[in-house]
Amino acid sequence: MTRRRIIEIAAIAGLGGALITALVVPPERTQGDLARLLFVHVPSIWIAYLAFSVTLVTSALYLWKREMRWDRLAAASAEVGVFFTGATILIGMIWGKPTWGVWWTWDARLVLTAVLFFVYLGYLALRRSIIDPVARAHRSALFGVLAIIQIPIVHFSVVWWRTLHQQASILRPGPLQMDPPFRSAFLASVVAFTFVYVALVMRRMQLGRLEDEIEVRLASSHQEVAGAAVAPPRIEGAVDSV
Amino acid sequence: MSDWGWVVFGYAVLYGTLAAYVASIAYRLRQARRRLGELQ
Repeated sequence: MTRRRIIEIAAIAGLGGALITALVVPPERTQGDLARLLFVHVPSIWIAYLAFSVTLVTSALYLWKREMRWDRLAAASAEVGVFFTGATILIGMIWGKPTWGVWWTWDARLVLTAVLFFVYLGYLALRRSIIDPVARAHRSALFGVLAIIQIPIVHFSVVWWRTLHQQASILRPGPLQMDPPFRSAFLASVVAFTFVYVALVMRRMQLGRLEDEIEVRLASSHQEVAGAAVAPPRIEGAVDSV
Repeated sequence: MSDWGWVVFGYAVLYGTLAAYVASIAYRLRQARRRLGELQ
């Protein structure tokens, strides 16, 4: 069994375990059963942070080494990061409707997370818009390095501005104020999502390698353009000009 | 909708979106392999 297959099995098992753990823990004192949504909402954005940090590191490595494997890993990680950011926003909206009474509000944390999502969607669009692989890798790497500035802004937005969104409850100074059953549910989701992230990035890397190979083959093959097979008519008695 | 209804809805959206994303990667992988086979 390959390493990739083992990680995929671990991801599926982890997702099952996280789901069961999140559903069997007792209801939270103030939010009741709705708090179960936060067991996946918070780990989702953590994995998105991780994914975009990997994009930063691999983009910097590409700019330094000029090796295409770093570009492929940056692209793969950014795409998976966009997925997890989108999932965070969706789960947050589903939690917000019964808790706040609205699906969406123009709160600093929510808006900045949406901006994070659209900026990395722009990163993926940029990659699609450049045909030359070297130019694409170079410009995407610059984008991948610069875009990381959003993560501290998103994370500290609840500290820097007055927001409806609650303050950080785990990634903050001081002792962790969370009962053991909730810790288990959080940890189960973090572990499961980490395996999901690794499994998705590995598959996306495999796809990137195939796409690069297709580009190389297309560039190296001398394919005839439309009309190339049409020969000029031969006229009896005519003499070639040269 | 009850609180449990929202919870079930949320998890269904999350796991459903993940399944759709996995399916899209699998589809793109299959298309890429087919294209590479055509070019050989």
